[in-house]
Amino acid sequence: MEIQSNNFVSLSAIAIRNSEMQKAVSKGTRNGYDKRLAAMFAYGEEHGEAMRQQAAEAKRRALRQLPELLEMAEANMQANGIHVLWALDADEANRQVMDIIKRHEVKRVAKGKSMATEEIGLNHVLETNGIDVVETDLGEYIIQLNHEPPSHIVAPVIHKTKEEIRDIFIEKLNMPPTDDAAEMVAFARKKLRDIFLSADLGVSGGNFIIAETGTLCLVENEANGRMCTTMPRVHVAVVGIEKMVENFEDYATLTQVLPRSSTGQHMTVYTSMINGPKRPGDADGPEHVYVILLDNGRSDIYATKYAEALACIRCGACQNACPVYRSTGGHAYGWVYGGPIGAVLTPLFVGLDKAKPLPQASSLCGSCKQVCPVDIDLPRMLLDLRHDTIQQGLGDTLWNLGIKSWAWGNSSPRLFEMGGMAARLGQGVIGQNLPAPLGEWTKFRDFPSFAPKSFRQLWRERQKAQAQS
Amino acid sequence: MNSRNTILKKLRATQTPFTDVAPIEQRRNMVPLAETTPDALTQRFIAEAEKIGCRVYAAEDAAAAFERVFALLNGDKQISAWDDAFLPMPEFSETLKTAGIEITASDNGQVRLGITGIDAGLASTGSLIFSSGHGKYRTVSLLPTVYVAIMTTNQIVADFETWVALQKERGLDQFRQSSNTVIISGPSKTADIAQELILGAHGPKEVHIILLP
Ligand code: SF4
Repeated sequence: MEIQSNNFVSLSAIAIRNSEMQKAVSKGTRNGYDKRLAAMFAYGEEHGEAMRQQAAEAKRRALRQLPELLEMAEANMQANGIHVLWALDADEANRQVMDIIKRHEVKRVAKGKSMATEEIGLNHVLETNGIDVVETDLGEYIIQLNHEPPSHIVAPVIHKTKEEIRDIFIEKLNMPPTDDAAEMVAFARKKLRDIFLSADLGVSGGNFIIAETGTLCLVENEANGRMCTTMPRVHVAVVGIEKMVENFEDYATLTQVLPRSSTGQHMTVYTSMINGPKRPGDADGPEHVYVILLDNGRSDIYATKYAEALACIRCGACQNACPVYRSTGGHAYGWVYGGPIGAVLTPLFVGLDKAKPLPQASSLCGSCKQVCPVDIDLPRMLLDLRHDTIQQGLGDTLWNLGIKSWAWGNSSPRLFEMGGMAARLGQGVIGQNLPAPLGEWTKFRDFPSFAPKSFRQLWRERQKAQAQS
Repeated sequence: MNSRNTILKKLRATQTPFTDVAPIEQRRNMVPLAETTPDALTQRFIAEAEKIGCRVYAAEDAAAAFERVFALLNGDKQISAWDDAFLPMPEFSETLKTAGIEITASDNGQVRLGITGIDAGLASTGSLIFSSGHGKYRTVSLLPTVYVAIMTTNQIVADFETWVALQKERGLDQFRQSSNTVIISGPSKTADIAQELILGAHGPKEVHIILLP
C-alpha cells in the first residue's frame, strides 16, 4: 500500500468535509465506545480495571521473554503438525505465501480478516500473480469490491453508510435493489459461500499464539474465519511475532478482554484454538497448516522506547475513543493503521520521515490510554515521537525557526518584555487573524486577545502602589 | 543467516524490555460468579445463552429431547450430525433412520440443520466448547443455517478459566491432539453494515441448545 501519511493534513481536510463519512464514523465510534464501557465494567469498575491490568501484565511478561517464547511456540507448533516459517519483512512473507500457493497448486484464496496481511500488501501480490483472492469478512469484502483499504482495525467499513454499501453491491455485483441490511448480508452470504466451498487455500491472521501449547488463536463473529481455516485444503496464518502468549491462563484472560474492548461482547461468537492440520481419521479440516511469523520491523521496535506498542492486541478501542479519529476516520492516516495506535505504529513501521504529521494528530487528551485494554501509554509515545521529529531534523523549517526565536526571546527578562510589547502593538494593528504563515493557525480559530497590561507591568504598578501607601 | 536466526538474534541483542513490570499477585477470572453450585451454574448458563441469542430447551429425558429434535427438523429428510458416541442420547442415529431421516457426517452446505454434542458449556458466558476429532465433524456446527447442540447439565463448568484448568489437569497433550477447539457463543453475526446487527453472517442463523439433566 502506498504510504500517504505525510499528507495527513490535506487528507483530513477532505475527510471532515465528507458528510456521509462523518455520519458513519461518528455513529460507529460512539457505538463502540459505549459498548466497550458497558462490557469492560459489567462487574464493576474495580474489577474491570483489575482485568485490564492483568491483561497488560500478561502481554508485557510475554514480550519480556519474546525470543524464548518464539522458540517454544515454534517447537510446540511443529510438534502439533504446523509448518512454521519466519519472515524478516513483507517481501519474504509474500514470497512464502506464493511458494505455498505453487506447492499446493492453489487457484483460489479465501481470506479472513487480518491486519498483518494488510501490512504486507498480500492481496496485491496475489492479484499480480494471477491468483483469485477474495476477502470474506463482510466489511473487508465490501471495501475490496470498492478497491479501498480498511479504515478501522475491527470495523473496516465503519466509514460507509448503509446506502453507500447498498450502492456498491448494486454497482459491482448486480444486487437486486434493497435497503434492508439483512437482505444485503444474505446476498453476500450466498456469494461468499461459493468461495468457501471452492477455495484451495484459506488465509488468516492470528490474535494470539499460546507458546506452551503451540496453539494459533482467532476471534471472530461471522464464521468466515472458521470457514477459511476449515474448508480449504491448506491454511496459512500470517502472524506478527509479538502475538506470543506465555501460557493457557494468560490466553484465557486476553481472549476475554479483547472482545469486551473491541465490540463490547463478552465472548466473540467464535473463539478458535487451532492445533494443526486435520488428524488421521478426521473427516474435515485442512491437510496443511502453515504459520508465518512476521517480523517486518517489529524486532527494531522491540529495541526502542516504543516496545510498548508491541503489546497492542488490535482491539480498536483507542480509535473509537480518539477525538481526532472520530473526525477524520482512518483513511486520513495514510497507511494501514489509523487512530492513536496508527499514529504511533505508522512512523515506527514506515519511518518517521514518511509519517511526520501523525504524532501531531492528537490533542493528547489521554482517552486512548484510558480505554486501552493493555494500558499502552500512547500519549507518552506520541510525545516522544514529536521529540524524535525535532531531534532527527525532520521538523518544519518555519516551526524550527519559530521555536528558536521563542527560546531566544525567553532567554532574558528584557527580551521577554520587549516581545510582549511588540505582540500587543502588533495585535492592535492586525486583529485576530494572524498574517501568513501563522495565518494557517487562525484560519479556523481566533487568536486570543492579549491582556491590556502584562503581568510584569501590573506587578510593578502594585509594588509602586504598596510603597506609596 | 536465515531469517529465523536473524530475528531471534536481534531480539536478544537488545536490553530486555519490561523487566520492571510487577507480576500480578492473584489472577482473577474474567467473570466473577457469586454462586457455583450445579443448580446456580445451570441457571446462569441458560440465562447467558439466551442473552446472546440461543434458544435453550430443558428436556426431562431423551424422549423429550427427540421430540424437540423432530420439531426443529420441521419435515426435513436430511441432517448432518456427529457420531452417536458423542451425543448424549441413546441410539440417536437409529431413531432418526427409523423415522426416515438420513444423516450425513459432513456435507457441502446443502443441509439446513446440524446436530452436535459438546465437551463443555460455560456458565459465565453461555458458550459451548468442543474439540474436533473422529466423529466430531467441524462442518456440522458451521455450514447449516440451523445449529442444534445437545448437552447435559453436568457438562456445565463455571467459566473458560475453569475449563482451562481442567485441560491442564488432564494434561495438555489431550487438548493438543485435536486439530481444532472452538468456543461458540451464539449465532454467527455481523454488524459491518452501519452497526445493524444481522444474524447468520456466514454460519448458523439459529442456535438451539437442548439441555438434558
Ligand atoms: S493500542 Fe490498545 S486500545 Fe488501541 S488497538 Fe491496541 S490494544 Fe486496542
